[in-house]
Amino acid sequence: MQEFFEQARRILAEQMEIEVERITMDTEFEEIDADSIDIVEMIMALEDIYEVEFPEEDTEDYPTMGSLVTALYEYLQKVKND
Amino acid sequence: MKIALDVMGGDYAPVELLAGAMKWLQESEGQIILVGDQEIINEELQNHSYNPNRLEIVHASQVIGMDESPAAALRKKKDASIVVASRLVKDGMADAVVSCGSTGAQMAAAIFILGRMEGIERPPIVAAIPGRGGKPTLLIDVGANVDCRPIQLLQFALLGQAYARGVMNLDNPRVGLLNNGEEEGKGNNLSIQTYELLSGQSGLNFIGNVEGRDLFSSRCDVIVCDGFTGNILLKTLEGMVFFLAAGVKEELGAIPATFTRLDYTQIGGAPLLGVNGISVVCHGSSKREAVCNGLNIAADSINNNIVDKQLQELSRLTP
Repeated sequence: MQEFFEQARRILAEQMEIEVERITMDTEFEEIDADSIDIVEMIMALEDIYEVEFPEEDTEDYPTMGSLVTALYEYLQKVKND
Repeated sequence: MKIALDVMGGDYAPVELLAGAMKWLQESEGQIILVGDQEIINEELQNHSYNPNRLEIVHASQVIGMDESPAAALRKKKDASIVVASRLVKDGMADAVVSCGSTGAQMAAAIFILGRMEGIERPPIVAAIPGRGGKPTLLIDVGANVDCRPIQLLQFALLGQAYARGVMNLDNPRVGLLNNGEEEGKGNNLSIQTYELLSGQSGLNFIGNVEGRDLFSSRCDVIVCDGFTGNILLKTLEGMVFFLAAGVKEELGAIPATFTRLDYTQIGGAPLLGVNGISVVCHGSSKREAVCNGLNIAADSINNNIVDKQLQELSRLTP
């Protein structure tokens, strides 16, 4: 999970041009001005890295980095175990 | 020339969209691909006579609504009309896409399907506002990006300059930053930070802050602002033109051509810049006349080769 989170926050930090350390599990996307396009871009970059297609859910359901990354990671584990 | 028209987007879809397409076919020589629900399109087409060789239908079973989150909807609705229409451009089956639907969804489709030019985070919409002596002033962004960062406004400035050079054939277009005063240090945090970035950008003919009235003063060729401000400015302008035109008509009995040139139904639409394909955004409230003129903007953009010209101009800035 830690490695997955590190990947995700590195991608988002690069997109938003901010320090990686500014993004924690508790960071709200709004706090760092990340909109739905930024979030979808991050998800698509993770899909490329992990060669998986994440479910097409509303990004609004996950207001924080932690809630989104956890949901994506759980899905990734499920796909791996299937 | 083939233009993909998203017939499911907009307040008057699909009836006025199809009527606009028919009008364009009568007045122009290109072809149109109608993208949307095939059954609805076929039923509506029974009310028109047309040359079937110049009209195709590509079915799309979904529509992205105005109230949906654009990027999330784009992932969920892979068969939405704006997605299918943009993919036709990406795959080389159409030369441009035109839509009156959700601007956010159209921008997201442009980003994720057509792809962005290198160094461009968000595509802005550029509108050519008619000015004195037939010389337009470009206003960029007129509504694609409501929240912008300074770096994105710098990118809009570079795209505006590239468009003015490549498409309007201006050698050294003057770029101004829309603000509430001309002096350096004026404005909100976004304008102050953007001013610094624009001043330090080599290869950009930045003339400083400009005010709303400079849209018509010929003081500069490109005016940069965030999409929130630009959209309010544009729609205020539209409302003012309607108000003044009605007053003048009442008093003089006719509307001068200057007013007609500023009427959005006559302008039709505006292209998204910074993406690897032509995507023309039209008003949600477009009726047939405006749709037809939106298709004309797409045709002009194709004839002017706006994508290649932006790429050429942007590459001049990269050492």
